[in-house]
Amino acid sequence: MKGLKYQLKSVLRDKFCLMTFLLPILVAVALNFMGSIDMSSLGELHFGVLENDLSPQTITWLERYGPVTAYRTQEELTAAINEPSTNVIGVKADGDSLKTAISGDELEIFRQAAATLPTLYERQENAEQTEVQVLDRPDILENFQDIFIPAVLIVAMFMGCTFNAMNIISEKEDGVAFVNEILPMTPCQYILQKVVVGFLFGSLSSIITACICFQLSWNHWGLMLALILLSSFVAALIGLFTGKLSEDLMIGVVYIKIIMLVFIAVPIVCALIGVSGLSAVLCNLVPSQPAFDGIMALSAGNTGAAIKDAGILSIHCVVWPAQYVLLFTQRKKQGGYSI
Amino acid sequence: MGKGFFALFKKDCRMLASGKFFLMAIGFLVLYTAYVNLGYIRFMQMPPYNVYLYDPIGTHTEKSSLVQIVSSMEDMDAALLSDANGVGLDASAGEVRVVLYKGAEHVDRHRADYALSLLEPSASPAPEVLGTNTPEQKARKEITCELLFFELAAVGFLGIAAVLFKEKGMGVIRVHAILPVQKDLFLLSKLAVFLLSDLAFAVLLTLLNVGLNDGAAVLPAVLLQTAILSLMMALVGLLCALLLKDFRQFTLAYLVIAIFAATPVFLSANTSIKFDWISYHPFYHVYMGLKNAYFGTDISPAYYAGAAGMIVLLFLVVRLAFHREIGKEG
Repeated sequence: MKGLKYQLKSVLRDKFCLMTFLLPILVAVALNFMGSIDMSSLGELHFGVLENDLSPQTITWLERYGPVTAYRTQEELTAAINEPSTNVIGVKADGDSLKTAISGDELEIFRQAAATLPTLYERQENAEQTEVQVLDRPDILENFQDIFIPAVLIVAMFMGCTFNAMNIISEKEDGVAFVNEILPMTPCQYILQKVVVGFLFGSLSSIITACICFQLSWNHWGLMLALILLSSFVAALIGLFTGKLSEDLMIGVVYIKIIMLVFIAVPIVCALIGVSGLSAVLCNLVPSQPAFDGIMALSAGNTGAAIKDAGILSIHCVVWPAQYVLLFTQRKKQGGYSI
Repeated sequence: MGKGFFALFKKDCRMLASGKFFLMAIGFLVLYTAYVNLGYIRFMQMPPYNVYLYDPIGTHTEKSSLVQIVSSMEDMDAALLSDANGVGLDASAGEVRVVLYKGAEHVDRHRADYALSLLEPSASPAPEVLGTNTPEQKARKEITCELLFFELAAVGFLGIAAVLFKEKGMGVIRVHAILPVQKDLFLLSKLAVFLLSDLAFAVLLTLLNVGLNDGAAVLPAVLLQTAILSLMMALVGLLCALLLKDFRQFTLAYLVIAIFAATPVFLSANTSIKFDWISYHPFYHVYMGLKNAYFGTDISPAYYAGAAGMIVLLFLVVRLAFHREIGKEG
């Protein structure tokens, strides 16, 4: 307990720790209060037409599928079609029908839309008479803010890793690591003290971030707490690994950057493209993936998936300490490796 | 003067090599190249919506080959549940009924009409192609541009600042106060080292990820933009190292800030989402300069004038801070 007090004292002296602790909370506040970013236009079709080329009825018909922008000259229209950040489909009158123009670098879905547009125009009356049944899908992402919020929460959980890694590297640089070697302390006590510091701060930061971002029922809050605690514990352990493996601050910062990018990129890419099968199993090797997946499931009210993810995180919680003990305490026994 | 500059330049190169700066840059180059070639290009594919038809009576014989037949309504429900962008066509009652999961309103209308059009396909003229890039070329240019920008503005910048801070900690800056070389050479040699290393990184990243032919065609314009960004970031790094006492505390927080600051820029520059305030974001203009270079779009002379003005201003501020720092010595 006394050792833990010293660990906490050393961490609190570090301004960096306070900064990392507050950063996700500030971003969560900003995301929550600045309003959602409208990302619904991402998958929409955008049309570009020439002024006075199409009839008002045709423009109204095009607007059923997406926004229409009128350009004064052919050059302006061509520039808009070729603009790499958009997928504008150029539409021109062709007698009673339409003809389309694309840049050629669009995704297949937009190419196909441009290719079939004249057919849709010719059959617009048939289409209007057809019955369309639109089903509600409760767990579909309404906008990308739903991805940003869990991503911020993942960053908050990750902070435990940073706390520990920076703390151990500072100890190495200041020579405290050598002092630790001769202290009457077992490796398990050392691991416990280090992990508890990162775990406490990571969890606290995540809990505050979650309180700001989510409105959950009490039942779901229990699961959310479990997810936060489990993933903060794993992140703190990974920080322990990072600190141990880093020779100096420069290398440590590089390791932390890579881990952070992997932690954020894997779940976001998985959520955007929807992986399945073996790839999904492999993605779960990155602890942030089950944490992210569990938070997304909880926000959609899917308790079953969240319990499954908490289970995966529990496996991480057993495997990482076991690896640490195997790797480092064995090395210490064999060759007097410094803790 | 030339001899003094060369000696400083050689010393800076040795310092970067011993600080594993070059090793880190090569590591990130390998990581980015693997990501583009093994991951990004495969992810960035978006096939047309799948259309599932339940037609037990067999009334639709002329349907397109893109329509997938299902044997029961249960199969169609299962297919739609696993593929929420897909569209179901139920022709079991004679008249066709469209079934789909809710998305954006405009997209839903298009999905329904597109699915119906596949039941009686007709040969409409192929769309006219106006651009020169294929989807893969576009994806490669876009992601290479993003990675180069992120590397120079966030990752590389941290490397620069960390190395400079280390030098400051060792007292090297103050030693220059008593050296018989022109004081500004210290700054110029630093800028030259970082500029050359960033240019070499840009050449390798572009050729490895955009492709040899396409990459070589855009390289001169890309190198010009890289030089602008590199000089700006190196000067900001120098300024931070000269002004801040404990820079290492700032490094990781900067990376997080950079991710959140760069996200709106990437969204505005690469997607149809355009924020009203984005023109006030300093990163946006520099990023657009780099992107226009990759896509061969003309860049306004006003941008070059602004960038040159900014570099001169930053240099003067850094010079002032540097002279203040060496002034403490004496």
